[in-house]
Amino acid sequence: MKLLSWPTLAASALLATTSGNVLAHDPVFGIGPHVLFKDGIETAIEVAQEKAGEEKESELALEIVYGITGDWAAGIDVPYARKDDGMDTSRGLTDLQVFTKYRFWREDSLGLQESAAVMLAINGQNGDENATPKLGNGATDAILGLTYGYESIKWYRWASARYILPGKNDAGFQKGNKWLVDFVAGWRPKTPEYTKPDTVWLLELNGEIADRAELNGMSLANSGGTEWFVAPGIFWTTRNFAIKAGVQLPIASELNGTQDKSDYRAKMSFEWHL
Amino acid sequence: MKITNLKNILFKSTRLILASTLTSAALVWSSASFAGGTEYDLRVDGLACPFCAYGIEKKFTKTKGVESVEVDLKNGLVIVKTDESKTFKEEELKTIVHDAGFTMKSMTEKAR
Repeated sequence: MKLLSWPTLAASALLATTSGNVLAHDPVFGIGPHVLFKDGIETAIEVAQEKAGEEKESELALEIVYGITGDWAAGIDVPYARKDDGMDTSRGLTDLQVFTKYRFWREDSLGLQESAAVMLAINGQNGDENATPKLGNGATDAILGLTYGYESIKWYRWASARYILPGKNDAGFQKGNKWLVDFVAGWRPKTPEYTKPDTVWLLELNGEIADRAELNGMSLANSGGTEWFVAPGIFWTTRNFAIKAGVQLPIASELNGTQDKSDYRAKMSFEWHL
Repeated sequence: MKITNLKNILFKSTRLILASTLTSAALVWSSASFAGGTEYDLRVDGLACPFCAYGIEKKFTKTKGVESVEVDLKNGLVIVKTDESKTFKEEELKTIVHDAGFTMKSMTEKAR
């Protein structure tokens, strides 16, 4: 039964395999180059939900980020999930994630900041792989990211790419390598004033391109493929508090085998800079 | 006549000296009461978002002697007011702004 359940895991999209970075002024689903001021602390609570056919996953995560310098931040993401595959339900901590982001280039001018950053994240293997549905893949995964951002008083644009390198667990199961690409535009309709509430509207184009998973070196038919999403979102702030929310709607899917296509994914976060 | 004139002159002079002394004393007292540090007007680049600008407010208000920080995003201005116990050097201001994630282009300083 354990062996048969790995293909099911391969077919499901785990929220925990993507970067959990909530970092402030980044897109909702993609990543951006924003970090945190030196010695600053950001705390965030994130709620997310996704549905694909009979499978549904809800997640509540706590994230803490520390500004090591004005261009370098590191943090940890602790997610708790509820998973439902149409027959069984499981609840519990899923894989923790530690991450770091370094902004290696920045070009500041009046009312405008352009920058680029690299990101590294590691997903642990603490999620219970014996639960049904599984809460973890029993392996340590690495995520490498590169992101560019243009942030002005009125307009925003971001572009990013992340590459997920999943580890292999003790049962010989390994999810397929995966690319996440994101293109985001943002618009601020009203000129911001520092102490007043501020709103930015976001529109994201998110792509996921995954290789097939393998079990003991054999490729699994019902795994991997490509999905594209359009995601409208909003970023609302007042001084040191922010709310970010968005929903991913699939616009194109080419999944291998008999996998369920994504129906939707939604995410909302509440962030404080301390 | 001459003695009367002399008395008048002396009286007027005394009044003048007394008035000047009182005025000077008042000026010294008032300047001592309202003497207050410095205002630094910083031109800062990269300021596009209020949420991000909080870092500047936080870095400055953590510094002893800073009384207030105002941020004007549209004009790229950060106005820092200090009490008489604190004066900033330009390099120190540049570092604080850099650590907040922005770039200081120029500054002016004036007594308050």
